[in-house]
Amino acid sequence: MTRSRLILRCVVLFYIAALIGVPLIFVFQQAFLHGFGAFFSALRDPAMDHSILLTALVAVVAVPLNVLFGVGASLWIVRHPSRFTRVLDTVIDVPLAISPIIVGLVLELVYAQGGWFGAALAKLGWQVMFSFPGIVMASIFVSLPLVSRQVIPLLREIGDHQEQTASTLGAGPVRIFFSITLRSITWAAAYGVSLTLARVIGEYGAVLIVSGNIALVTQTLTLNIGANFDNFNNYQGFVGAVLLALSSIVLLLILGVARHRERRRNEYLA
Amino acid sequence: MSILLNEVTKYFGRDLVLDNVTDEVPQGSLTALLGPSGSGKSTLLRIVAGLEPLNQGHIELDGHDVTNVPARDRHIGFCFQDYAPFRQMTVFDNVAYGLKVQRLDKARIRKEVDDLLSLVRLESFADRYPRQLSGGQRQRMALARALAIKPEVLLLDEPFAALDAQVRGELRSWVRSLQRELGITTILVTHDQAEAMEIADRLVILNEGRIEQVGTPDSMYDKPANDFVQGFLGPITTLNGVACRPHDIELCEPGQGVTAIVTDIIRLGFEVRVVVRSTNNISSWVQLTHDEAQRLNLMVGESVSLRVRRGSGRNDEAVLLGGAFAVPYDQGAL
Amino acid sequence: MLAAPRKQTQAEGAKLPPATGRQFRDVRATSTLSRGAAKGLAITYLSLIVLIPLAALVTNAFNKGLGSFWRAVTQTESIDALRLTLLCAFVASAINAMAGLATAWVLVRDRFAGQAIINALIDLPFALPTVVAGVTFYTLYGPLSPFHVNITGTWIGVTVAIMFVTLPFTVRSVQPVLESLTFNAESAAATLGASPARIFRTITLPALMPALLIGTGLAFARAIGEYGSVVFISNNLPYRSEVASSYIYSLAVSDQTNSAASVAVALLIIALILLIFFNVTAQRLAKKRT
Repeated sequence: MTRSRLILRCVVLFYIAALIGVPLIFVFQQAFLHGFGAFFSALRDPAMDHSILLTALVAVVAVPLNVLFGVGASLWIVRHPSRFTRVLDTVIDVPLAISPIIVGLVLELVYAQGGWFGAALAKLGWQVMFSFPGIVMASIFVSLPLVSRQVIPLLREIGDHQEQTASTLGAGPVRIFFSITLRSITWAAAYGVSLTLARVIGEYGAVLIVSGNIALVTQTLTLNIGANFDNFNNYQGFVGAVLLALSSIVLLLILGVARHRERRRNEYLA
Repeated sequence: MSILLNEVTKYFGRDLVLDNVTDEVPQGSLTALLGPSGSGKSTLLRIVAGLEPLNQGHIELDGHDVTNVPARDRHIGFCFQDYAPFRQMTVFDNVAYGLKVQRLDKARIRKEVDDLLSLVRLESFADRYPRQLSGGQRQRMALARALAIKPEVLLLDEPFAALDAQVRGELRSWVRSLQRELGITTILVTHDQAEAMEIADRLVILNEGRIEQVGTPDSMYDKPANDFVQGFLGPITTLNGVACRPHDIELCEPGQGVTAIVTDIIRLGFEVRVVVRSTNNISSWVQLTHDEAQRLNLMVGESVSLRVRRGSGRNDEAVLLGGAFAVPYDQGAL
Repeated sequence: MLAAPRKQTQAEGAKLPPATGRQFRDVRATSTLSRGAAKGLAITYLSLIVLIPLAALVTNAFNKGLGSFWRAVTQTESIDALRLTLLCAFVASAINAMAGLATAWVLVRDRFAGQAIINALIDLPFALPTVVAGVTFYTLYGPLSPFHVNITGTWIGVTVAIMFVTLPFTVRSVQPVLESLTFNAESAAATLGASPARIFRTITLPALMPALLIGTGLAFARAIGEYGSVVFISNNLPYRSEVASSYIYSLAVSDQTNSAASVAVALLIIALILLIFFNVTAQRLAKKRT
């Protein structure tokens, strides 16, 4: 045990603890500052309850859509490369570099009353901006690349010999997809899905603009937390924050398991 | 089932990968598709399998045109070089895959798979996963999986390339006897000429997408159609500008052949390689048996006289001293 | 040795493919049809959500002319916001490039109890909503701080928040490369008498550089657009601690659409340049090694 190794270990552990550990613990401490009783009655705040429901609904719609698109696009990009798929790949990665505020802004420019599609939508009676569909679109935008970035490298590495073999054994494309392809990308896809879910329920800046932040109508849980803090209801804000922190921890566990399973798969490949 | 390849042509973009390939593979034979990397042999195999479309020409299986039939309906067995195991399934499920596709009942599947696993000596591995198997075991599993659907044709794409020498040798002979026993028409792609020579009934040599020569291993070794085939099928060296086999060079009386100095003597187990440098500074090598080498008792630095042995598959005129006497190829080899 | 195979009856052979003449053109036709439909679907999905909105952004930024765009971007408040954002992003990314490397090293090359927990914790900033991080940092290091520090309204506060959010990028990009590095080159260097520090500097670090650069590039791009985790601790004091994204937000809500779009486009161009720079440098380094 060399001294430099020990020093490095301590420095890194201290950095992680200070930067990540302390805030995490602090959230819990703040939420339970006044005991369990106060915590549970704060949970019954109508604005927060509604925001939880709204966030869940958005997730239920946005996550499957993006996962479907992500897996499908990844398969297409890797197995049937073309000029089109190269462009597709680039476009999918674009949201990585765009600030959430800009995401909200660009959606507003198109779908708000004065926007490009604003008049047409109003005529149809469809409201996108300041309403559920807009929140879903913003969530999809920000989480667009998360599944593909996990699945594409894996598909490239695995190659398609297994699928080809399955077709010589008489299997059709649907059977091949479910019995071979999907099963080989399970854990990478799970990792991507978890990241997508985390991003969708945690999105703030984009949803802030797109939803209008109307409490009890279009306010997601993240917006609810922010609003509470803006109104100096810090405690209520932390109650909501700890709920999200808890869900993050659950997702972290899933991410950890997924990464571990992927590593085990890689080990025997070598 | 016989296989007919008729004027098969394939382009990858603008690159011509297969150029008018025509061959008829007889029923029950084991044909080796031999050639260097990039010769198009794997592509050809995949075209026969239906895994790759062709640009021109057609494929017939037993007289039926299958050019537009997809792979899943061609009823062939295919084995990849990397074995392509279904990693998420047990060995049993791997082998059973084709049978499940045919919707056979469980009892029948179990019996068939058990029979196949004992055929390939993997009975005790039925519940293991491919990652727990060695390379040779994975290849046997891949074979069992391909044979499960009782194919009429077996296509093997460099099946032994990734194995170490001893396993390769064992598996090779085993596949040969299996193929003879079952009588399945088989095409084996390989870049290893020794392997092809050892187990194939007939060889098809491809180079840059064209067939160079077709024939039995013996006839092609002794009567190669051109330089490429000769160089590919066995070791060659040059004596006085003419390509020949190292074991076809013999020592002769001084004055009757090319003069050369022995520069190195290498013992390679059962044979001895004698490296010589002739007067025009070209290196050749001569292959002698252990006995011959002992009898001759050569030393490094010694001066010897060499010529190509009579009757060594070429026109019976020997290489003349000093003359770039081009020996014509035996026309009968083609 | 392997046993001799048993005989298989030919009678159990399969159905032969159909006779000459019958073509399976149908299969090909449907696949081109479905391919076209899939293309259409993908294009529609992406257009509605990403492409058309981005087009609207560029149009809006320039629909009053280049002059208007330039004026909006070069407003003092805009320049200050962009400058602050770039400064904080740079410092945070630089620190996290080193910290990420060190963390990846400790996670891969070291062995201690609780390593798995630390490994999982690294992903927390990916999983945790930005607003949660934002309000927590504000409370931790602001007027109500239990540590009695107050870095709200300062570039330091902003930088710390960005450090939290961007750490996983650098760690996770270096980690897999470090894991797949075998010790061969390093052992060879050691036998030649190189010290551990020298081995690291001349062998290990160059091997990790491309991945580190890509991770740092991603961190930087994320940093300059960050909002939720930064907006609380920064207090949005214009010219002092206002980041670019907050500035764009304030322009957007006060209906100064053209200015908002202009500054947004400027920010995106900066992000694009950064990403290109980092990726190209990484590729060049990687190419030099092969």
